[in-house]
Amino acid sequence: MTSRRLFLAGLMSAGLTPTTTWASAGGPSFLAAAKTDGGDYVLCGLSGAGQIVFQIPLPARGHAAAAHPYRAQAVAFARRPGRFALILNCATGNVSAELTSPAGRHFYGHGVFDPDGRYLFTSENDFESAQGVIGVWDSAQDYKRIGEFASGGVGPHDIILLPSGNLVVANGGIETHPESGRAKLNIATMEPNLTYLSLSGDLIEQVELGTDLHKNSIRHLAISGDGLVAFGMQWQGDKGQVVPLIGTHQLGQDAEILDLGDGIYDQMNGYVGSIAISADGAEVAATSPRGSVVVSADLARRELIKVTPQADVCGVVFGGGGMVVTTGMGQVIGGWLGGQESYPNLHWDNHLVGL
Amino acid sequence: MKKLRAFPCAFLFALILPFGVAADTALVDRIVSDHIIPRFQKLADTTEQLAQTAAQTCDLTNGQLLTDYNAAFDAWVGVSHMRFGPTEQEDRAFALAFWPDTRGKTPKALRQMITEEDPIVGVDGGYKDASIAVRGFYAMEFLLYDGPTQELGHPEYQCALFRAMTKDSARISRDILDDWQPDYAALMLSAGQNTRYQTEKEVLQELYKAVNTGFEFTKDIRLGRPLGTFDKPRPKRAEARRAGRSLRNVELATYGPLELARLLAGSNQGLQERYDVLEDYFAKAVAKADDPVFAGVADPQHRIKVEIIQQSVDRLMEYTQSDLGPYLGVSEGFNALDGD
Repeated sequence: MTSRRLFLAGLMSAGLTPTTTWASAGGPSFLAAAKTDGGDYVLCGLSGAGQIVFQIPLPARGHAAAAHPYRAQAVAFARRPGRFALILNCATGNVSAELTSPAGRHFYGHGVFDPDGRYLFTSENDFESAQGVIGVWDSAQDYKRIGEFASGGVGPHDIILLPSGNLVVANGGIETHPESGRAKLNIATMEPNLTYLSLSGDLIEQVELGTDLHKNSIRHLAISGDGLVAFGMQWQGDKGQVVPLIGTHQLGQDAEILDLGDGIYDQMNGYVGSIAISADGAEVAATSPRGSVVVSADLARRELIKVTPQADVCGVVFGGGGMVVTTGMGQVIGGWLGGQESYPNLHWDNHLVGL
Repeated sequence: MKKLRAFPCAFLFALILPFGVAADTALVDRIVSDHIIPRFQKLADTTEQLAQTAAQTCDLTNGQLLTDYNAAFDAWVGVSHMRFGPTEQEDRAFALAFWPDTRGKTPKALRQMITEEDPIVGVDGGYKDASIAVRGFYAMEFLLYDGPTQELGHPEYQCALFRAMTKDSARISRDILDDWQPDYAALMLSAGQNTRYQTEKEVLQELYKAVNTGFEFTKDIRLGRPLGTFDKPRPKRAEARRAGRSLRNVELATYGPLELARLLAGSNQGLQERYDVLEDYFAKAVAKADDPVFAGVADPQHRIKVEIIQQSVDRLMEYTQSDLGPYLGVSEGFNALDGD
């Protein structure tokens, strides 16, 4: 994959420097959605030290955001079963384009750009047939929808890019239908999987966990530079049963559960909200707002580094200054200053997206 | 993966209990004795009665058989909000109640079973290995009330199949009750002394969630599925419509969690009075409904009545979240509540 820096260098040498780069939006390191105390919703850019560098209003509750690889554009998705997404110019705060999912589809709250930043891929629900699809939108045509392909399962949630430029999708396995709100319709028979797809939708590989883990919904993903995928799960079975909630997978190999012992997973209360891998690929971190803990582990030794109690923690990402987490109480913890920024009138929502 | 079945030692904790009783334990004790155990006892008794009646007749239109089936189904709906612990072992609850069946697995699997005369029904106790789609009350409903299913295969096979289903459901219901008393009840009463419930708050939270998810399931699924949208109503998605039970299930499935909510609210006058008002609103909405299976959701005159029922369940749920949760101190954080 062309790294962002190399790509930008290429653009500059070609005299094609885009006018609105992330620098013009205050040079944020992260994006995060939030709810304000007044009941409004916003998308914020955060510096590497956790300071807000921009704040743009959203029409309804967001979930994750997708960041354009070099333009100061963020895609703010409605949470499921929302049907809108906004392309925001983060330098001006203006809405550059509005995406509405086609009839019979709704967004799941995640999306990703291809390495060149032309196409946007969004996880969606084809709810009449209860099949996941990936929508394809062309930024060169004002984000026109140009097609879709099967996600390889039911209930696709997170979708990220591999170093190879292909996609990997977390098909959570849970069937929902907008007429039944957010209610889960198929817990007894759900079959989550991890699906690798080319940018044109060709199936590259699909991985499932064993039948005893079929109620473990694979939801969120992180990737290392060498293509190791870490996935965070949400257990849909009885809470009295402690199951592993973090796994890893490398293309061409079997999926592996990260065995941290039942005690750790017990503390996570059946629920991973977000997951991240450090830039050097050495460390994975997963948050559990239901257990109010951040769990980090060494990926080479496959053992626990530490468990940090943190109330209502959810967003997690590794930036240049190390791990950063956000909470529902408005805290941004970690980063360059290693301390804590607090925004008492904001409730950080679900995810922190690295730029 | 390790199953945390702390049941065997739970009884010991129960004996230790009197030395460390906290205020909430009395409340949990009352809920277990007055709400949980009697309801699961009723489920065990009625499913056993149904299995006994089925063993005596092969006439699947027999009046007693239908009465017993409906009594057992009533008992199931009356516990269907308590989806934790014993009901979740070995997928017991799903094996009693595979619904919603969004892909139509039950009729498909039954058709195959009956036409191929799957010998599993002849194996004593073997039905526990059958697909969950052909077990429990919703599968039985097809044999008792669905014309096309009744015309399949031989009546003798249908009789054997129904007997296998009823025995299976009776066994599951008995297993659930046996796990509840004394073991799981003791776990809930000895919070802090076992790994399942590490604090009393966790027990209250479990019960509070049962109320909430009970209301939510009724609002979003039992009512939301047949309502569909105004432009595309879905009357055929009504729960147990063949047995004529859609509205009845909504009633039972609302009064169950409501009883639990009121037990949790205890002597708090404000909460009880507000629940009185909301219960009255629900009861009036149900009384005005003239359609036991929501068949009229496409007709605006009838649809509005179903929408008002849904609204009344929604009010119960909203109030539970806005007032009962904070009263119990079990409200969750912004992210913890999200569920994505």
